[in-house]
Amino acid sequence: MSQHSRRFGLTALLTAMLSAPVWAQSTDEKVQELQQKVEALDQRVKADERNKELKDDAAADEAKNGAAVTADTSGFKIRSNDGNFVLKIGADLQVDNRSFEGAGSSSLPDTILLRRVRPTFSGTIYKYVDFFFRPDFGQGQTVIYDAYLELKYFSAANLRVGKFKPPEGLERLQSDDDTSFIERGLPTLLVPSRDIGYQLSGNLLKRRVYYAAGVFNGVPDNGLADTAASDHRSYSGRLFLTPFQGGSENPLSGLGFGVGGGGGNVDKIALPSYKSFGQNTFVTFASGVVAAGHRTTLAPHAYYYFGPFGVLSEYTLTEEGFQKGAVRRDIAFRAWQVAASYILTGEHKSFTSPTPRKAFDLRNGGWGAWEVAARVGDFSAERGLYSYGFATPAQSPRHAREWVGGVNWYLNRLLRISVDYGNTNFASASRASERVVLARFQINFI
Amino acid sequence: MTRTHRLISLSILLAAGFARGGQGPVTLLNVSYDPTRELYQDFNAAFSKYWKAKTGVDVVIKQSHGGSGKQARAVIDGLQADVVTLALAYDIDAIAEKAGLLPRNWQSRLPDNSSPYTSTIVFLVRKGNPKHIRDWGDLVRPGIGVITPNPKTSGGARWNYLAAWGYALKQYSNDEGKAEDFVTRLYKNVPVLDSGARGATTTFVQRGIGDVLLAWENEAFLALHELGKDKFDLVVPSVSILAEPPVSVVDKVANHRGTAAVAKAYLEYLYSPEGQEIAARNYYRPRLKEVAARYDNRFPHLALFTVDEVFGGWQKAQKKHFEDGGIFDRIYQGR
Repeated sequence: MSQHSRRFGLTALLTAMLSAPVWAQSTDEKVQELQQKVEALDQRVKADERNKELKDDAAADEAKNGAAVTADTSGFKIRSNDGNFVLKIGADLQVDNRSFEGAGSSSLPDTILLRRVRPTFSGTIYKYVDFFFRPDFGQGQTVIYDAYLELKYFSAANLRVGKFKPPEGLERLQSDDDTSFIERGLPTLLVPSRDIGYQLSGNLLKRRVYYAAGVFNGVPDNGLADTAASDHRSYSGRLFLTPFQGGSENPLSGLGFGVGGGGGNVDKIALPSYKSFGQNTFVTFASGVVAAGHRTTLAPHAYYYFGPFGVLSEYTLTEEGFQKGAVRRDIAFRAWQVAASYILTGEHKSFTSPTPRKAFDLRNGGWGAWEVAARVGDFSAERGLYSYGFATPAQSPRHAREWVGGVNWYLNRLLRISVDYGNTNFASASRASERVVLARFQINFI
Repeated sequence: MTRTHRLISLSILLAAGFARGGQGPVTLLNVSYDPTRELYQDFNAAFSKYWKAKTGVDVVIKQSHGGSGKQARAVIDGLQADVVTLALAYDIDAIAEKAGLLPRNWQSRLPDNSSPYTSTIVFLVRKGNPKHIRDWGDLVRPGIGVITPNPKTSGGARWNYLAAWGYALKQYSNDEGKAEDFVTRLYKNVPVLDSGARGATTTFVQRGIGDVLLAWENEAFLALHELGKDKFDLVVPSVSILAEPPVSVVDKVANHRGTAAVAKAYLEYLYSPEGQEIAARNYYRPRLKEVAARYDNRFPHLALFTVDEVFGGWQKAQKKHFEDGGIFDRIYQGR
């Protein structure tokens, strides 16, 4: 090996020896660098996971605290996601046409009128408190019809306070958009419309038994008021049974019966106003007559629904004190009605309006629901009405008998068109029978 | 009034009398911020015992914890708190102003501006401090993961933020621009923004995210002692903020529930030697000198500045930094 070759070999060896640590060092650095990258990636993945976790928590929190706004066939509603707070905005608008037939049939003119214009605000606060507020701007007047709170903590005992329907008559307690006829029947004339007070009500025995009892300011029959006429109060109560359950296959499941009633002192309250189907007042009290003494009402009632068929019946007896001068007497009023209806399109009839199987829509072949209905009813006052001078036969027949036939077209859940013909015979030579055609266009949602 | 009405009224009065007659335990709800769970568990037990011995009446204290701002909003929205023990005065001010549940001068009703204990902000780092974090300046280095909650919802986070801002002002001779730049760089290093201090501790300790947790001193000690000294180290920065968490009775709620007297006694007991001892045991700095002296070795010594000194009070600090459109929004949206 030449000297040159030996020198070259030594140089190569030294170079190799010196470069070995450099190689090792660069490997360590690379490992370290990779380790750092892995750690950084690990941190990023963990951070992303945690951020997702926090985002999910925030979304769950938002879902719990947020609210949903809905607008559909049941109306317009804002509901907190936990269901504890609900606001529903509704409306009840009825445009009626009244056409009276024959001379002397009516003291009222034929008319088109806004029978009811009632915006409705209802809902729930703090889960257990319901509220309901409904004024009426119909017929050129502003009247608060319903304004109440109801504490519904126990289903067996709900406390309602405010202005609402006292629990006496069956048809009175049915919502005006659910009745089969444009105007209510004669027994409803003998129970209060709305009153201010307290009521305890509830369902017992798996909803087989319903009870309601309340204390109120006191209002005249078929009337309402916003203040008490005296220190005295009136009392109302109702017990209603639906003993047969089991759904539509049980033919008795649609049977309900019960009794309502009430009483109290009527001193200083306004005199009652009794109106026919066409809304003509047919009992006018003589000058100087005032309500005095007690009023007692007993109102047994029942309904039965099976498939598209329904029948509702009630009898109401009211005995009420009147005074003219030194003469004070209790006068008894009696009224009854039987109302039947049948839904031609096959929907199930119930205490509330039917929901059409197919809403009216010509393009898709929907005709809504069609219903025919008929009722007979009778109203009478005892002879003492005349003999004690509280009214005169010339001005106030003490007997009225009506029959009504009608057709209801439910275009959808909210819209309804109705046409009724009503005949009321007053059994009086001085008062011609009332014959009237009522037509109604109605939109209602709560 | 008729006889019937007199009878009904009498019945109602009698029923009310009977209802009051059965004296069960008094319940209090203490709505507090995130890291006070352990403190109030101990304190509530001690107070119940004290109150029973003093009055013979059992008292049951319920606790609610969350981000301080979030808790204040819950009280404003109707959470029936008899007392609030929150992270900062601003949150109780909000309850006074927005809901009117207590008087605006609530802070003057108890000693030391109604702050029975204090704390500060320190750093918790991984064992051995692998990223060599010694002071606030290290938090803005690239590659440092800083865990701190959201100042919009967490009182602790606002203390963290202001502590960093105060350090930067000191470091850059009160140059606000440089302070904002410093805090902006710090928040660029925040990978997760929890809503409360306890959530941030979970992120750092249990999820293993980040290199440093900005924490309440008590929370850092708790993590260290309860979760493992072999896993974490405590780093005390050169300077930090004196945190003064306040307490108050929520007058309208307590008066309505008939708990005003016991609620007041509950908070006053925090100032008693027993209450101060419990605070110190839970790593809150006690106000009472003799208790503070006994626990002197427990708390590190560092320079502390107050919100009033550096920021002119909580109202000003809140408006400038944390209100919608404030500096924090600018900083965090620019991330």
